[in-house]
Amino acid sequence: MHSSVFIVIPVYNEAPVIAQTLHQAVQTGYSIVVVDDGSTDGTTDIVRSFPVHCIVHPVNLGQGAALQTGMEFAKLHRAQAVVHFDADGQHRTADVDKLLSPILQGKCDVVFGSRFLQGGTGKIPRAKRMSLQLARYVNWMFTGILLSDAHNGLRALNRRALEEIQLSESRMSHATEILWIVRDKGLSYTEVPVTIEYTAYSMHKGQSLWNSINIIFDLLFKKINR
Amino acid sequence: MKLTQLILIVGLLAILVSYFRWFRSAVMDKLLVAVILAAGIFMVVFPDLTNRLAATLGVGRGADLVFYLFIVGFCYLILMLYAKIRKLEQQLAELARKQALHDVQTQSTGKS
Repeated sequence: MHSSVFIVIPVYNEAPVIAQTLHQAVQTGYSIVVVDDGSTDGTTDIVRSFPVHCIVHPVNLGQGAALQTGMEFAKLHRAQAVVHFDADGQHRTADVDKLLSPILQGKCDVVFGSRFLQGGTGKIPRAKRMSLQLARYVNWMFTGILLSDAHNGLRALNRRALEEIQLSESRMSHATEILWIVRDKGLSYTEVPVTIEYTAYSMHKGQSLWNSINIIFDLLFKKINR
Repeated sequence: MKLTQLILIVGLLAILVSYFRWFRSAVMDKLLVAVILAAGIFMVVFPDLTNRLAATLGVGRGADLVFYLFIVGFCYLILMLYAKIRKLEQQLAELARKQALHDVQTQSTGKS
């Protein structure tokens, strides 16, 4: 059972932290798929020194594209469930089982991690909290689904969701695209409280305001010509 | 004929010639480009015509009318180009994904 669950970790130039993230990830006993999205800082070599599947994009495409590649790989290897996990050390491997449990019990197709539910992260920087609140409502406007969190990279999908979800948004708007597909295909979903570690590293790698404008622009385009 | 008119006509003709020379495209596209450029030359030769058209549409000068139309056309063009870039990015992603998955597959069969 353990090896038919795949943890998909997209990475792009994460050399300072990837070893620690992978060290913890392999201890879960699940299959690990690292999708290296065209790193140029030696991340690839570090990944290859771990007992994980390493897929390398020839050019940098974006996090959405990397997740899709990982999911295709998991599908080819008859995965029963897939977990999306960030490489920058902001997610805890202890949360992976919490995310999987509703899926393994057959309760729903998709599980979203939420830092705002009871039992989730306590300390969230003020500016971050406010922009996430805004993002929740942007997601709701576009998809009709109002979650308690937005752009939380920690999620779990069962086999059915894996078959239905085809991400075409290569960059960061994939988080909203997933909600879109969940609604369109009638997938069932739930939220589970998770902990996000706010390190100086992950804050630096995080989303800028300019990026959120890009995301909204991409979503508008997708809405118009899909 | 004023010097400005001459320069503009030469420029428009140069665009027409290079389009026909370098871009192989459908007959309809060529026809459309030819008609637009012909209209451009026509307006350069008879500037009073755009002035009168502008007056009937409630715009001060013919040049202003051309400028406004240009802005609208330009914005439309940018949107079209962005849509095209998005399409290309999706195709690039599919191509790169196929390549990456193929590489990892041949690696694992090579090992065993």
